[in-house]
Amino acid sequence: MEHDAQPPRQDRTEVGTPVPADDLAPARPRTPIIAFVDVSKSFGDNTIYAGMNLEVHPGETLTIIGGSGLGKSVCLKMLIGLLPVDSGRITVLGTDIGTADDEVLREVRRRVAYVFQGGALFDSMTVLENIGYGLREHTKMGDEEIRARAKACLEMVGLEEKDLDTMPASLSGGMRKRVALARSIAPQPEVILYDEPTTGLDPRNITRIGDMIKKLQRELQVTSVVVTHDMPTARKVSDRIAMLYRHRFPFVGTVQEMWQSEDPAVRDFIHGTLRRPPAAHGSHAKEHHGP
Amino acid sequence: MLRPLERFGGLVLAGIEWVGGLTGLALRLLRVGFKRPIGIDDIAAQMVQQGVRSLPISTFLSLFIGMILAWQFGWALRDFGATMALGYASSLALVRELVPTLIAITVGAKMAAGMAAELGSMKVTEQIDAVAALGADPIKKLVWPRVVGAAASQPLLVVWGNIIAVFGGMMIAEWVYGVPAGYFYQTYIDELVPMDYVSSLVKALIFGVLVGLIGCFQGFSTKFGTEAVGIATTETVVATSICIIIADFYLTMVFF
Ligand SMILES: Nc1ncnc2c1ncn2[C@@H]1O[C@H](COP(=O)(O)OP(=O)(O)OP(=O)(O)O)[C@@H](O)[C@H]1O
Ligand SMILES: [Mg+2]
Repeated sequence: MEHDAQPPRQDRTEVGTPVPADDLAPARPRTPIIAFVDVSKSFGDNTIYAGMNLEVHPGETLTIIGGSGLGKSVCLKMLIGLLPVDSGRITVLGTDIGTADDEVLREVRRRVAYVFQGGALFDSMTVLENIGYGLREHTKMGDEEIRARAKACLEMVGLEEKDLDTMPASLSGGMRKRVALARSIAPQPEVILYDEPTTGLDPRNITRIGDMIKKLQRELQVTSVVVTHDMPTARKVSDRIAMLYRHRFPFVGTVQEMWQSEDPAVRDFIHGTLRRPPAAHGSHAKEHHGP
Repeated sequence: MLRPLERFGGLVLAGIEWVGGLTGLALRLLRVGFKRPIGIDDIAAQMVQQGVRSLPISTFLSLFIGMILAWQFGWALRDFGATMALGYASSLALVRELVPTLIAITVGAKMAAGMAAELGSMKVTEQIDAVAALGADPIKKLVWPRVVGAAASQPLLVVWGNIIAVFGGMMIAEWVYGVPAGYFYQTYIDELVPMDYVSSLVKALIFGVLVGLIGCFQGFSTKFGTEAVGIATTETVVATSICIIIADFYLTMVFF
């Protein structure tokens, strides 16, 4: 992680987003910013998690990989309290999500943004209103300020100002996805949960979103949890990768560690997904994922 | 042997569960609704969407109820040579019962179905979760304006409907039974005491709250997929009608 860039602090305090002390000094021994402790979750007979543990450290980007339908989205939803756990504990930014009341949960959700897998844009609102939703909810920003922020966020995801006044229904799938990204980053959260942020995007925008995730991490020390099937992006943005397998995360480690792992499940996943070993961490050019 | 009994039991249990869920929503709404900001903009938008757009159908409906009722009562009264009492005879039934209840069952069911469809599609596309994820309260943001909008629209529509219904009665009185329209109006108003207006409006208000609650509850409890939205919407029409009739029975008991 680089820390050369000076983060624009004023901008943060302006929208009322205090940076926790831990974030300011990443060199200290880090307490996890997110922790799943012995979490179990089922829907009827369908067991999703059993005794699952996972930690995310401040300022890191953790990528969750795993087969379709195993519960990656469920993991992120439990994390911000959209789904209750059956047993176990989830702490986020020092808050126990299971016992938090509405006010506390609201505060956590102000600081933790979730990019929905399907976008979940509000159909009845323009792109501008969508992006401004969190700002109106949590800040006293005026219309002009919101518009300016929305425009800046749209540019980060590769869309233009003219898209601000369109309705989501008239956007393409990839554009909707990027508006959803813009909506989540607009309130300048400390933690961003990306649920398959690059699915359905063209290669240029995949690169752009990957760059954006890195840039947010570098400049604002944003902690990210990324769910993705897109291995080049995973390799590019991840500090660590967690692999979901049989209701748990049996493997959590760096890209390199993952590659060198002897764990049959990990090897199986790699060979099912990748064709050749990754180059050094961070250089992702010309790599492509399997069929 | 046991099968029908089991099914009946299951139905009763489901009904109890449904009422429980609806009550839970009402309690949560009471807790968050009155907190500031009240959300006047959203409420106004809902009143326009639900109330103003229902004006044509309410007008049409009330006009015809007024005419039909006057016609029928006139028919019965003529046997006794008492057609001049037509105004006295029609007013109570119209003001206290027919206008509020019929408007609630038609227009109200339409409103509730609209809410169930809208919120149901928001539910299946995770937009309701998105409201929560952005730190807002879906109950406050989505349910509150709809329930208040419906609760405010119903009495307004009923006031309007009452005016139109008298007008319908006057037309039939004059043209069919030769009772002067002015006389019909006079006797119609004469028969009513303040309590009748109160009863009409209180009924409408309570029906409005029920309409909003049921519509939102059905939308929020929509399962997965677009098919589920269709099911939730259809069920809403039935549930709203049944609940309104039951509420009407109790309210009539209270007010008489
Ligand atoms: N609200 C819910 N109620 C019941 N079952 C659910 C619910 N949400 C998810 N599931 C089930 O949980 C399982 C995991 O779902 P999830 O969406 O987390 O998968 P995923 O790992 O994100 O898959 P994908 O990569 O396809 O997005 C699925 O079997 C799904 O049917
Ligand atoms: Mg998913």
